[in-house]
Amino acid sequence: MATKTKNGHGGTKAEPYKGTSYKVSIKRQAHPDAPARTEVFELPYRKGMNITSVLGDIAMEPVNASGADTTAIAYDANCLEEICGSCAMLINGKARMACSALVDKLLAEAGGDTITLAPLSKFPVVRDLAVDRSVLFENLKAVKAWVPIDGSYDLGPGPKQFPQIQEARYPLSNCISCTICMEVCPQFNEDTNFVGAATIAQARLFNMDPSGAVLKEERLRALAGDGGVQECGYAQNCVQACPKQLPLTEAISDISRDVIVQKVKDFFVR
Amino acid sequence: MGAVAGVAPPDNSTRRRGVQPLRAGQGNEFLLRKLHSLSGIVPIGAFLVEHIISNFELVHGPLAYAQQVKFLNGLPLVRVLEWAFIFIPLLYHAGFGVFITFRGRANVNVYPWAGNWMYVAQRVSGLIAFAYIIQHVWRQRFAGVSLPEHPGFAYSKVQMELAHPWMLAIYVIAMVATCFHFAYGIWLFAAKWGITPGDNARKKSAWVCGAVGSALCAMGLVSIFWVAYGKQYPIQDVMPAQPNGVVMPTVPTVNGAAEYPTTNSAGQPIAPNGVPR
Repeated sequence: MATKTKNGHGGTKAEPYKGTSYKVSIKRQAHPDAPARTEVFELPYRKGMNITSVLGDIAMEPVNASGADTTAIAYDANCLEEICGSCAMLINGKARMACSALVDKLLAEAGGDTITLAPLSKFPVVRDLAVDRSVLFENLKAVKAWVPIDGSYDLGPGPKQFPQIQEARYPLSNCISCTICMEVCPQFNEDTNFVGAATIAQARLFNMDPSGAVLKEERLRALAGDGGVQECGYAQNCVQACPKQLPLTEAISDISRDVIVQKVKDFFVR
Repeated sequence: MGAVAGVAPPDNSTRRRGVQPLRAGQGNEFLLRKLHSLSGIVPIGAFLVEHIISNFELVHGPLAYAQQVKFLNGLPLVRVLEWAFIFIPLLYHAGFGVFITFRGRANVNVYPWAGNWMYVAQRVSGLIAFAYIIQHVWRQRFAGVSLPEHPGFAYSKVQMELAHPWMLAIYVIAMVATCFHFAYGIWLFAAKWGITPGDNARKKSAWVCGAVGSALCAMGLVSIFWVAYGKQYPIQDVMPAQPNGVVMPTVPTVNGAAEYPTTNSAGQPIAPNGVPR
């Protein structure tokens, strides 16, 4: 993979931060219809912090940089180890996971004493840094991203899955639904209503499953709908930004071909 | 609870609704996008290759260039070919391309990565090519002397056009933009139609597309500079009295009689030499 400095983890060794305190500038919004405002916090510098621990520090003593009492920052977080996909936000302007974004590296990257936080820009804000990402869930439902094994009786063991298939599927199964691939995509916006890379990759994952393949044609036809795989402009930001290094462009390419074949087949056969 | 839930009040808020979910299996955008993608390769890309190779004939001088123009205009159903395989696909590709361009939200300022720059470059080069092609088709195909009827004027028309330094600059910029757009377009086509899904396949494809684009661009630029800075020919019809289509070459005459014998020793007709003296 390319250098990982872009994701905020790994990369060049940063100069140690010299200051005793640092500032965190946070774009806040009290509720979905409230106007957005920026609030700055000043915190004593400690080594080895990440953004979720910074937000925890603020919550323990919610006083902003001008000394006024304020409320704790609302944000989504759960596992704190980049596996639940909840804490994606714009950190220093770029979409990444708050739990794996390290303060020391962010200060070095910004070159000053301020880190900026903002909610993901392409999803409706619920409050502060928490956004409504249900569009991904709706998209996963639209492409039937599951294996249909529920029945009123025992369906018995599934077909054998060869190790080669397992190996091809495993990277795609790492998706944590963080929506960073969608946030960074120039085609994912309110004009195109593009489905985004995550959903396409999951369609690929379940199409390759010997049991999930029963819904393959339905998934491909769904992805040929408006906002489907054809909206991809191949800027490849998704694969660069993905915190779990999913082979997203490969999945888009493969699904794209499968959709074309399916549509041609449907045109001549159905 | 005895109360029956009423109808929910309408949502009057002005908040953004966010990106909407996939319209699974609905709409025609898939077909339109794929037609756009395909039309850029064939017929438009194929025509671009033909156009640049044909234009390269002008390094052999006005007569060779005129004969190339005459040959192309002598193709069967040439006006049908021109509209069906050049003008209409080009209009569709350009129009839908502008639509695609203005629906994207470029964010290369935030994420300055190679693929993201190429995404922007593909759109910018497309817009440059579109603006250039409008004036190029108007000034070289429809305005001024009609080359299908007077192919002999082809070199003169190009020479007069490129005599203006501003026009020369426009041609050079447009040649680079168009060749880039075509080369990256082939790469995108291969990636988006699932021909090159793997990282390595896409890297190899990039080298091939880069080589094709560079070669085309080099040929095009040589042609442009050849006309602009090479030998300046007098403005004239080098093949006067050339009607449309295929014609028999005229027999050169001297004092009313054929200059060369028109029959062989057995009395059978032989083809006269059509090359001017």
